[in-house]
Amino acid sequence: MTGHYTRIGLTERIVSFAVLFLILALILIPYAYIIVTAFKEPGEVFETSWMPEQLSFQAWADVFTIFEFHKYLLNSLIAGLGSAILAVIISLPGAYIFARKNFKFRETFFYLIVGTLVFPFILLIVPITITWIKIGLFNTFTGLWLAFQIFAVPYCVWILRGFFAQLSPHLEEAAMVYGCTQFQAFYKVMVPLAKPVVISVLFLSFLYGWSDFLFSNMLTTGGGPQTASIAIYIATAGGERIEWEMLAVMTLVAGVPPTVVYMMAQKYLSQTFATAT
Amino acid sequence: MLDRQERRLVILFLLPTSLFMLFLLWLPFIQGVWMSFHLWPFMGEPKWRGLDNYTRFLNADYFWDSIHATIIYCLSTLIQLVIALSAALVMNQPFIPFKSLWRGIMIVSYTMPPVVVGGIWLFLLDPGLGMVPHYLMQFGIIDEPIWWFSNGDWARWLITFVAAWTFWPFMFLIILSSLQSIPREYYEVAEIYGANTFQRFVVVTLPRIKTAILIVVILRLAFNLAKIEQPFTLTGGGPGYDTSVLSILMYRFAFMSGDFGMAFTVGLFLVAFTAILLLPFGLVYQRNLRRHSL
Repeated sequence: MTGHYTRIGLTERIVSFAVLFLILALILIPYAYIIVTAFKEPGEVFETSWMPEQLSFQAWADVFTIFEFHKYLLNSLIAGLGSAILAVIISLPGAYIFARKNFKFRETFFYLIVGTLVFPFILLIVPITITWIKIGLFNTFTGLWLAFQIFAVPYCVWILRGFFAQLSPHLEEAAMVYGCTQFQAFYKVMVPLAKPVVISVLFLSFLYGWSDFLFSNMLTTGGGPQTASIAIYIATAGGERIEWEMLAVMTLVAGVPPTVVYMMAQKYLSQTFATAT
Repeated sequence: MLDRQERRLVILFLLPTSLFMLFLLWLPFIQGVWMSFHLWPFMGEPKWRGLDNYTRFLNADYFWDSIHATIIYCLSTLIQLVIALSAALVMNQPFIPFKSLWRGIMIVSYTMPPVVVGGIWLFLLDPGLGMVPHYLMQFGIIDEPIWWFSNGDWARWLITFVAAWTFWPFMFLIILSSLQSIPREYYEVAEIYGANTFQRFVVVTLPRIKTAILIVVILRLAFNLAKIEQPFTLTGGGPGYDTSVLSILMYRFAFMSGDFGMAFTVGLFLVAFTAILLLPFGLVYQRNLRRHSL
């Protein structure tokens, strides 16, 4: 197998490794420095050094006791989970129909939804804030879950339809020969087949909910379901002295879960991206 | 064509998506257009203003500041494409070891919440204690710390670079999976005909990843215009309005000033800007599709 590639020139190999190292350095150096900072004493943040004089867990303690960061993390978790489940409930049946049934205006309808992917949806935050206040969804999880769908549903419909469209066109017929109704063919045959794609769609919409700032910041206030992103924003914008070592801790704590989720889902995600394009 | 049972299923299954479109996209959008004709405060009674918001926005100083910032900020898409394409080509080389580890590291900036990335760079670039100014001074590139975020030009380019640093992995993942779908034999044939590295790229690789590149450019151009968490964390749209790209300006009117009518007016300009920007790419994409189907 590898015999074919012995002709790849030395220059090409050197350039490839150089590019790889450059890119990895650009990513790793900033994060490494944030990790170091998270273990510094408050006074030590002012020196650019790679080794804390003394390993300090003060910032970690402060973040959870003074700042009560775990409350914000829990809110992020609830916001992300609820939004992910709702996104799948809304988009799975629709995507299935778009992929496998013929009806009038199907293409138009589909592109009206998926087209919103490139629509700068954040402007909808303006009317939605006003409406949520009016109907009592302001400062609630339900309000956040619904608002996150604006981004999540078009994305999910796009990915799920791509998956259903490439399955054999005879699957439902075969299922119905075995006595399934149309509906049973969907949930007994198609849904189990779609499991890996549904998982990646769940991951993606969870991450969106977890990471969102613009909508959550607008739709909540103090005492409500404020997420970790909001807490970090408050910490960066809050007054004269920014507690950098605490910010570094919050950054790590809020940033690691989505990264772990991505790593776990990588296998599914690369399949998904391959079918979607 | 559909029997009764099937028709009922179609209607039932399209219901959730239709309700979503109606209540979360179209009604809010129409409501927003209505709001843009008003002085609409966060709480309290809206007042009719007619086209006042529009004429005021077009004549305001911050209109051109904002367009200027938005155009520069869009260039981040180009930087993202350069990094993503280089990374994807390297990661598709058969002789690179530990690929999944590198790929995992590469997507970290994209998986982190954008506000987190904003916070990280705010710290790294801080003129007083940041790592970047420290090393720039140590290596003699600058003599004294630069107050980047008080200088419009610096601030505009910095938010552009930070956006590129954050979002390139999205392009990378899609271009890489498109690269991996090219059969190895194509390269072997090209080699037999004596094609060098560059020729192999132009003849074999490029035609097969063209569509993927077009798609990611379209998506990222649109996303970059709306994903403004990190520039908002870094500069808040300042100094003045120098880094207030259209979405930040909109957010400032809604979140800071509570002028919701004006906010949606700015939002409509954002829609127009996005549409104009995407139009040429969309046309190329459509032409490609048609050529494939012939």
